[in-house]
Amino acid sequence: MTPVAEAVTVERNYLNQGEGILSWLFTLDHKRIAILYLVSVTMFFFLGGLFALLMRLELLTPRAWLFNPGDYNKMFSMHGIIMVWFFLIPSIPTTLGNFFIPMMIGAKDLAFPKLNLLSWYIFMFGGAVTVFALVRGGVDTGWTFYTPLSTTYLNTYVTATATGVFIAGFSSILTGLNFIATIHRMRAPGMTWFRLPMFIWTHYATSLVLVLATPVLAVTLLMMGVERIFHVGIFDPALGGDPVLFQHMFWFYSHPAVYIMVLPGMAVISEIIPTFSRKPLFGYDFVAYASMAIAVIGFLVWGHHMFVAGLSIYSAMAFSFLSYLVAVPSAIKVFNWSATLYKGSISWDTPMLYAIGFLGLFTIGGMTGLFLAALGIDVHVTDTYFVIAHFHYIMVGGTVMAFLGGIHYFWPKITGRLYPEGLARLSALIVFVGFNLTFFPQFVLGYLGMPRRYAAYPTEFQMLNVLSTAGASILGVGYIFPLCYLLWSWKYGKKAGPNPWRGTGLEWTTASPPPRDNFEVSPIVEGPPYDFGRMREELHLG
Amino acid sequence: MAEPLALILREQFHAPEQQRETATLGMWIFISTEIMLFGGLFLAFSVYRMYYPQAFIAGSADMNIALGATNTAVLICSSFTMALGVHSAEVGGRKLLNLFLALTMILGAVFLGIKFTEYYLHYLDHRVPGPGFLFPSADPPKAEMFFLLYFIMTGLHALHMFVGEGILFSMILRNRAGSFSAEYHTPVVLAGLYWHFVDVIWVFLFAIFYIEGLHLHKW
Amino acid sequence: MAQPIVSKKTYALTFGTLLGITALTTLLGFIDMGSLNTVVAVGLAGVKACLIAGFFMHGFYESRTVRIAMIAGVAWFLIMISLTLVDYASRFW
Repeated sequence: MTPVAEAVTVERNYLNQGEGILSWLFTLDHKRIAILYLVSVTMFFFLGGLFALLMRLELLTPRAWLFNPGDYNKMFSMHGIIMVWFFLIPSIPTTLGNFFIPMMIGAKDLAFPKLNLLSWYIFMFGGAVTVFALVRGGVDTGWTFYTPLSTTYLNTYVTATATGVFIAGFSSILTGLNFIATIHRMRAPGMTWFRLPMFIWTHYATSLVLVLATPVLAVTLLMMGVERIFHVGIFDPALGGDPVLFQHMFWFYSHPAVYIMVLPGMAVISEIIPTFSRKPLFGYDFVAYASMAIAVIGFLVWGHHMFVAGLSIYSAMAFSFLSYLVAVPSAIKVFNWSATLYKGSISWDTPMLYAIGFLGLFTIGGMTGLFLAALGIDVHVTDTYFVIAHFHYIMVGGTVMAFLGGIHYFWPKITGRLYPEGLARLSALIVFVGFNLTFFPQFVLGYLGMPRRYAAYPTEFQMLNVLSTAGASILGVGYIFPLCYLLWSWKYGKKAGPNPWRGTGLEWTTASPPPRDNFEVSPIVEGPPYDFGRMREELHLG
Repeated sequence: MAEPLALILREQFHAPEQQRETATLGMWIFISTEIMLFGGLFLAFSVYRMYYPQAFIAGSADMNIALGATNTAVLICSSFTMALGVHSAEVGGRKLLNLFLALTMILGAVFLGIKFTEYYLHYLDHRVPGPGFLFPSADPPKAEMFFLLYFIMTGLHALHMFVGEGILFSMILRNRAGSFSAEYHTPVVLAGLYWHFVDVIWVFLFAIFYIEGLHLHKW
Repeated sequence: MAQPIVSKKTYALTFGTLLGITALTTLLGFIDMGSLNTVVAVGLAGVKACLIAGFFMHGFYESRTVRIAMIAGVAWFLIMISLTLVDYASRFW
């Protein structure tokens, strides 16, 4: 193509339609809002990661050498609060979900673009309030805000932090509401429920949890705030209240919140694995139903966080049984992903490396979850590093791996550029090694009895703690690498073309980066998802 | 004049019908979240009602049933006028819509007036939880829990009423500007859904706070 | 319009019934029925809620999807309250 022709045909896409910072801050385009979210959650991720790094440094030696115990309490509290509410929960839904739900169902935008932008502003406002509390002196309740510790005994910025989380909750609700309405009403002609990519099903399940669980967190924090500000007793046993009620309400939200974090990870994996094994997703219907089952059963298991909190023994048994039950749909998914790999023509591109990492780490995290669902073992390992390792295998080994995999997978579509493949594979490897070195020793530590949330520990635990800290440093490098080369590739990367991975979804049929309205011609869907066979025929014919 | 259809249909939709249904669905999802929001408070109420049955019935017997029942009737009337307002919007009667929206707002204001009168009477009776709380029974702290939940739940409800009044006011302004017609009146329908929902919440608040201990009411 | 318009007569009937149930609730409240008082009060409130949701809020006329959204909120509230109260009811302490 001659330079003149190139200048004439410079493509109009969502990135160059509208210039300047204001065109971003007032955009109603779901793709631009996704980018705003991506920038924001990345900032929060590195902020939360900084606290993690400081904690690991502190735990290098048995004695508290870097912080006094009070400051250490603030470190783990702020790490948890920022990572849970300002990274993990919004991470995949608000970035990849926001960007790709309309594209995958063949819509021009989400159902309520203004609410979508509003949810970003609410999120940032909640984040600002939390960061304000952090700068003023932080909070040391732990991320769970347990009463009466949080309402009666602490003098830190509990109210301000809880306010920040409370506000951010409404952004989650709006996002979930928007997704549900969009998936119900905005599908392109021919896009029936069982032609939806699994990404959509899983985000639908996530949204269900977002919408039905988050309000309970809001009202719980509201009551906690009332008790703390007005010195009245709702949860305070001295004034006739019941602290276990706080735990019931908190975990009614926070256990399903685990599925808010991991279901979108499963959504990404369900896209990556078929594409890089050139096979349709095995047992599509089962995976779809399993997503919904996880969302529903996930609401029935919260009591397993309270086995040592004074739950009735019958209730504890029921919750233990239900917790085993929720492992069934998760296992169905893992088996079906594995079966998708079977006899596939697998290519080991970066997204696939992350997906395989997810598969292994999520399985370990899930299996150790079964240990914790068993009443007897749970009493032994409650509040030890075993629990820490377990949920980091789900949250970091699951969600963060899937997030990184998804960012790499969709990066060519989002930016129109390819990232440097060799470097990306290397950093995927670094993340995997660093992650396991960080958290596997913690399983051992916890089983040996090292409790969580202490700055000091007996000397016999030092070896494993040093290993864990070493792993955390490697993991940190593994996270900074992608940040650098992805940003570099946005400007200098090779042009990707519309479909670099030869994927089958609607999102790959349009230009990269996509135009403002996503598609030049509104698509009509005629076949099932993951139809690699038909794609092969078309390639041969064409 | 009503806005032309091209302006009313947002660009992400392909038909007005789709837009209307999506908006209705969105509103219902929002109402579900509101059910869970109030649900947390109803849960707390049920737990403490189980813990302290006598104190809670005594607290309920202390309520002013005349004001409470009047308020319930007022709110049901306002729901009726709201429903008639939606009906007028559907048949394109703009003047009637204005009238019914205004009536609904007035009834809502009457409700809030009575509610705050009640709060003031509670204040005079030292029923506000905190250091000055007084209750003529064996176990004041347990009755205090009843009043605490009463104030939080009716307070959150009153807050929703204020929001509802604001929404109705904006509907009146938009109607006067000629935004609604028989073809396009979705915002009125949504405002109606919200208003009725707030009414439903009150119906339950009335039952648990006013009726439960009514048979022990001292005149 | 796919959305049927609910007649004024239906609204008026609903309105009358609601006021009637409110009066009934209040009158029954004066009778001491032991623990039945709560059941009657909350049960009648439930009937009123159904009337409002069904007629005023057009629940009886909406599509299946919208009805599922309506029911989901109530169902999830029932999950929360029943599983929590089961714990409280089955404690030894």
